[in-house]
Amino acid sequence: MAALLVGFGSAAQLRSQLVAPYNRVERNQALVRSVQDLERTNGAERARIATLRAQIASQETDAARRSDQTHELEQEIANLRAHAGITPLRGPGVTVEIRNGKPAGDGQIGYLTTYQDVQDVVNLLFTGGAEGVAVNHRRITPLSAYRGSAGTVEIDDGPPLTAPFRISAVGNRGQMEQLLGDASNLGDLRHRQREFGIQFSFGGSPELSLPAFDGSLEVPNAQPVA
Amino acid sequence: MPNLLPNLFKQRPADEVRRSQRGLTLLIVGALSAAIAFVGVVQIRSQAEVVRSLEGQDNTSLAFLIDDLHRANDALAGQGSELTARRDRLRSSGGTAADPALQEEGQRLRMVEGLVPVHGPGLIVAIDAPLSRLDLEDAVNDLRAAGAEQMAINDHRVITGTVFRQNGNAVTIDGDATHGPWTIAVIGNLDRLTVVADMMMQSLRSDRRVRQATYRVEPDLVIRATVPERPFVYGTS
Repeated sequence: MAALLVGFGSAAQLRSQLVAPYNRVERNQALVRSVQDLERTNGAERARIATLRAQIASQETDAARRSDQTHELEQEIANLRAHAGITPLRGPGVTVEIRNGKPAGDGQIGYLTTYQDVQDVVNLLFTGGAEGVAVNHRRITPLSAYRGSAGTVEIDDGPPLTAPFRISAVGNRGQMEQLLGDASNLGDLRHRQREFGIQFSFGGSPELSLPAFDGSLEVPNAQPVA
Repeated sequence: MPNLLPNLFKQRPADEVRRSQRGLTLLIVGALSAAIAFVGVVQIRSQAEVVRSLEGQDNTSLAFLIDDLHRANDALAGQGSELTARRDRLRSSGGTAADPALQEEGQRLRMVEGLVPVHGPGLIVAIDAPLSRLDLEDAVNDLRAAGAEQMAINDHRVITGTVFRQNGNAVTIDGDATHGPWTIAVIGNLDRLTVVADMMMQSLRSDRRVRQATYRVEPDLVIRATVPERPFVYGTS
């Protein structure tokens, strides 16, 4: 009888201990599912934008064949589009790769790549003369911003990105390589490379291709000064 | 046995062709299967990696992520609708709508790239502190992530790609040296900008280096500074 009571008691105790974590997991999984659904919508919307931009460009090219004025305008806008990052870009450049380190088991998260790491590398590449940059195939634009929690990086309207991060830049290859190789740059990343085993490497290439930006570049609150 | 050889030789070309055709087919099927399996595994692995990384996030981070994705998807849907309307106008006009649409896009892209003066609702953030290049880069990113559409620091127009360098106590912005006190002019959605400005003030006021940090709302802020045009030297579209 006593053994039975102890058995029931232990089972009840175990159950009460398990229920709370199980609920937490359920809630977490529900949120993960929401994120995944939203990511699917995000991907579909970006693909739609890319298709629409291609269709518009094709119709504009047709119109430019019929009118010199349209042709001139189209050339001017093509240059602006290229600088805004909404058309692909190719040329010599460098690719930087950042991989997470290994967790030390003491709860520290310094081994995870952060959005600041990505931001610092992109800024350094612009300092080195980058004319266009892409992070894991997400093109950086003049309005780009980075955010996220440790281990995930969100850029503009895109879905969260996870390591490894490949940051490609077209531009002055020699100058970018020199800055990336200079140990006085990217101090935080280099520190965590030593402390937490974050992997940071880079390599030059005579020809790189960057994709076009497939998000929104609307500025609804700003107006040009007349 | 010797008699068999000619037959074997006779049969060989046809057999060889069949065998080599079969071999080729098997090779192609094998290669395709391997490629599909590889792509599938890579896809499953990368998907699993993302799911693992999401499951590693706490519920609060996931809730923020959901909020970000909702906002992003709304912005993408808006851009999609705008582009659809533009495409349809082009189609129905037989191309005559191209010029006004291109002019309107040109005007917007010149603003996005910081090539023209702009105005709109915004904030003026004033910080009296010896801020470093990194502080400024972080401030620009935080404001940008909160919906800043246009920005200038101490009358220097700033876009993503603007180069900040530390030069002793001064910071150069695209080559021009400047130093504190810092005035950051920002145009964008006031509801979102004021939230991040309040958070910035809290953080700045707890920083010992900061002598003063304030911000004020401007219903129609003008940013006259512009970014010089930089033609591509290395890149081609």
